[in-house]
Amino acid sequence: MANGSTALIHLDGVTKVFVTDEVETHALAGIHMEVKKGEYVSISGPSGCGKSTLLSILGLLDSPSGGSYQLNGRPVGELKPWERARVRNREIGFIFQSFNLIGDLSVFENVELPLTYRGMRPAERRQRVADALERVGMGHRAKHLPSQLSGGQQQRVAVARAVAGEPVILLADEPTGNLDSKNGEAILALLKRINQEDGCTVVMVTHSQEAARYGDRTIFLRDGRVETADS
Amino acid sequence: MLRLLTTVSWRHVKRHRLRTALTFFGIALGVAVIVAIAAVNRSLTTSFQSTIDQIAGKAVLQVANGESGIAESLFPLIRDTAGVRDVSAAVEGFSPVAGVPGERLYVYGVDLLTDFAIRDHQFADAQFGFDQALDFIAQPDSIALTESFSRRLKLPVGAKVTLLTSQGKREFTVRALLKEQGTAKVFGGSFALMDLPVAQKAFGKVGKLDVVDLTIEDGQKIEAVQQRLRERLKGAADVERPRKRGEQIELLLTSFRVGLFFVSLIALFVGFFLIYNTVSVSVIQRKKEIGVLRCLGMKRSELLRLILTEALFLALAGSFAGAVLGWLLSRAALVAVGETVGNLFSLIDLVAGNFTLRELALALGSGVVVALLAALQPAWEAMRVSPLENARQAAWRPVGRQPTSWANRLGLCCMTVSPMLLAIAPSVDGSVQRFSVGVIGMLIFLLGLAAFCPAIISFVVGWFWRSKARVPGFDGIEARLASDSLRRNPFRSGITIATMVISLAAIFTIAAFVNSVRGSLLAWVDQMVTADLIVSSGARTAGPRNVPLREDLLPEFGKIPGIKIIDLYRLIRSSYQGKPILIESFSARDSARVRNLPMVTGDSAEALREMGEGKGVIISESFHSKFGKGANDTVELITPSGLIAFKVIGVYIDYSSDSGSVLLDRALYKKYWREDLLDAFDLWLEPGADQQVIIQTIKERYGEPYQLFISTHRELKESVVRIMEQSFVVNYAVEIVAIVVAIFSVINTLLASVLDRTREIGVLRAIGATQAQVQRMVVMEAGWMGLIGGLLGLFAGSVMAYHHVVYNTKELTGWTFQFYYPYGVAIFSVLAAVILCLFAGYGPAKQAASTPIVTAIGYE
Repeated sequence: MANGSTALIHLDGVTKVFVTDEVETHALAGIHMEVKKGEYVSISGPSGCGKSTLLSILGLLDSPSGGSYQLNGRPVGELKPWERARVRNREIGFIFQSFNLIGDLSVFENVELPLTYRGMRPAERRQRVADALERVGMGHRAKHLPSQLSGGQQQRVAVARAVAGEPVILLADEPTGNLDSKNGEAILALLKRINQEDGCTVVMVTHSQEAARYGDRTIFLRDGRVETADS
Repeated sequence: MLRLLTTVSWRHVKRHRLRTALTFFGIALGVAVIVAIAAVNRSLTTSFQSTIDQIAGKAVLQVANGESGIAESLFPLIRDTAGVRDVSAAVEGFSPVAGVPGERLYVYGVDLLTDFAIRDHQFADAQFGFDQALDFIAQPDSIALTESFSRRLKLPVGAKVTLLTSQGKREFTVRALLKEQGTAKVFGGSFALMDLPVAQKAFGKVGKLDVVDLTIEDGQKIEAVQQRLRERLKGAADVERPRKRGEQIELLLTSFRVGLFFVSLIALFVGFFLIYNTVSVSVIQRKKEIGVLRCLGMKRSELLRLILTEALFLALAGSFAGAVLGWLLSRAALVAVGETVGNLFSLIDLVAGNFTLRELALALGSGVVVALLAALQPAWEAMRVSPLENARQAAWRPVGRQPTSWANRLGLCCMTVSPMLLAIAPSVDGSVQRFSVGVIGMLIFLLGLAAFCPAIISFVVGWFWRSKARVPGFDGIEARLASDSLRRNPFRSGITIATMVISLAAIFTIAAFVNSVRGSLLAWVDQMVTADLIVSSGARTAGPRNVPLREDLLPEFGKIPGIKIIDLYRLIRSSYQGKPILIESFSARDSARVRNLPMVTGDSAEALREMGEGKGVIISESFHSKFGKGANDTVELITPSGLIAFKVIGVYIDYSSDSGSVLLDRALYKKYWREDLLDAFDLWLEPGADQQVIIQTIKERYGEPYQLFISTHRELKESVVRIMEQSFVVNYAVEIVAIVVAIFSVINTLLASVLDRTREIGVLRAIGATQAQVQRMVVMEAGWMGLIGGLLGLFAGSVMAYHHVVYNTKELTGWTFQFYYPYGVAIFSVLAAVILCLFAGYGPAKQAASTPIVTAIGYE
């Protein structure tokens, strides 16, 4: 549930231009939006509207060409690369469409990965990983490799990896895009539960109207702009 | 096929310019080494032959006996042999030019009136005829120089030139100039003519000749005249065609040239793995592309041809570049090799020949053959790829583990064949053949170890992490991911590490060999040369460069206070059973009590006593190995006094020459060789005598007129070591090439590894890894390669070095060396491997860290 009036994310006139072979593509053409703490926001729109580009900027995977982006009250544009990495590690949890687990690490090791970059003590790390895996219902598969899991199970592990570090915000890019409907619903329900139980802010990109309804509100994008934002 | 090459293949090459460039340069360097050493070996062979042919002129047969010479009294016998038409006798030798460091004249002393029938001397003065020749001969100090030499040293007709002779410095007057044609072309124009008696006196060969050249009458068969001469001479000299003399001298260089050849193979061996690595990686990265081509109807055989053709084009380009580079390298190598050959074997007119078609063919052949062999297995693997599996837009999966079973089978096969070859090597006929079998056996061992690299990587990395699990606080995620990357691709990593193993093994083998030779040589010099001072003329050590002296200085040295014993050492080249050997002599009677011979069989004191009593000769280990003679056998030596049989007293270690040497007492030498020349005075001082005062006295009194080198025992040792180190210069250069190619391979692999893990690296950065952490991961991967490669290379090198020093070298040279393990080099080489790999990893690491995250993950 949203936490009052505190804006966790604040975008003001954010643009993103890709230049390839002298052709400019305006993926984002002036985005104004806010996401409050504890909100579950869905971002929807047709293919090529810029939703994944927007999510990558929110997750500090990419930088805007123009405009300003404040995360948790702090202007992101001023951050140095190592500070951006620190934010990605400690404040953001990212869930990808294609899971992006590291194939030769076990389930346990994949979830542990972001925690090791924090310099956390091994005992604390182990506890957090165990808790995260239990939460997503994958505790019994800790020693398995990703290739031994189904798509839905892999995505659960990806969710565990994203939440193990207790991030402030969870960013999900088409989390159900590679899953069947049953597994997809399970993942969406999981995200909802995390949002409600932990108060973790969730921003989810999806092209599915049904999936978008899991959010408290939906922001519609078209041609790089916010078309509507329903609540 | 051409269309595919210009689209599919060319695009891939353009996308991976750096890796293609590294492979190109790796091939070029490997081929360059092969071509350079082949060119040097060819120059060595042809230079000797060319010099001999030029000097021989029209002569079809030559009567000679190495540096032993032949008695002048035999000249009429030779001249009067049936079938002989024209005859000309000569005395030859090198004389340093006094006051001009580094300048030497090749002096040819002939009877000018008769020599024109054999050689065509073109005098610069067109008027030089019979009268002028008589004038030339009439003056006992006449010398004729070439025009170029005269110009270079500003010595026109009438000028004086001082040469170092057996009687010290002697002045000669330039009375004629020669055009640089025919014989006068040898040694770059550093050629001089003298009248025969003048040359005999200058070289201390009065009453002796070095060679008698002859032509035969029309209608006579060369072999028949040769046989007639041999019967009449009764073993007092060899009778051979000029070409055969050249071949005999070339035999001196056999082990040197064989050694160079095998060293050159190392570069090619390393290049093989570089190409294999590149083609394997290229195939893996293009699996989807290959799958699409197969889905569109490309046959397996066409795919095989495409990949092999790609390798072929790259090999051709690299080989052409390598051929050019090799030719340039050979110029530099010739300088180093010429120095070594001049120090150890014979002064040589080493001329760099033109680049030949043979060398071009060698370059293309070696590069192309190696490239095709290296590309065959990855191309075969590509052929077997299922089209559908690889054309699918797959969800991201790491590059799967590659089958290593065939590599293990290859390794097992090699490890079985290698000891078998090493076991049969001693029974093969011929020293070069035995050596070759031994080297091939070791190379197969190395190949086997290389084939086991993938399995070794998996084992080592797994063992390390099981062990580290017990070490509290060891928590490096970067190290973990780095080592996991190796284990994930044991094949690719294995090939790269194999390249490092081979380079390091080769480097270590050479280093251990040099260390063992140095150690053995120094120990031998300590035993053999017990004199406090060694005095020689023209050079510090006895060999091709020093000037033999007469015994004039012997009584003079005897007058210097503090000198207890003086001995006279002589070293000449001769032949035995048609092969070159050395004859050494000193006066065992005078110096036996202060000498100690390093014997293989027999007692030193006993042998020296018998030698001093003239009871026989002592042969070297190489002589024993080459000719099968031992204690109590008889050897018949060709001397100016005829064929003389000597009893073998014992066998000793002698590193003067690997062609074999015979040591006898000076009295015997003087009696049968009819000369009193010597190459060095060995002086033993009275206890308490001031060495520096004695050195100063000798220098002041005789240093200038005789251009003496006075060496202490320590200085002689240093000189010996310097000459030995010089002989390995080419080996060191090849080592550098091998390590450079290995580093290229590491960079290649890391670039491929980074590319393969682009998405993984993107994910790591997305979940919070910094650029520095990503860089550390890649650099650590390189470090792991360096560590595993370094340790394995050290292991392989130690095994190979031991075999090479103790067994293989003995097969080729007959020498026994003690094995001195180079501990310093061992530690340094492992450290250097790790450090070099860490440096090599820097570039790919930066690339990995700088790729934008979104691009890496493959966002739309």
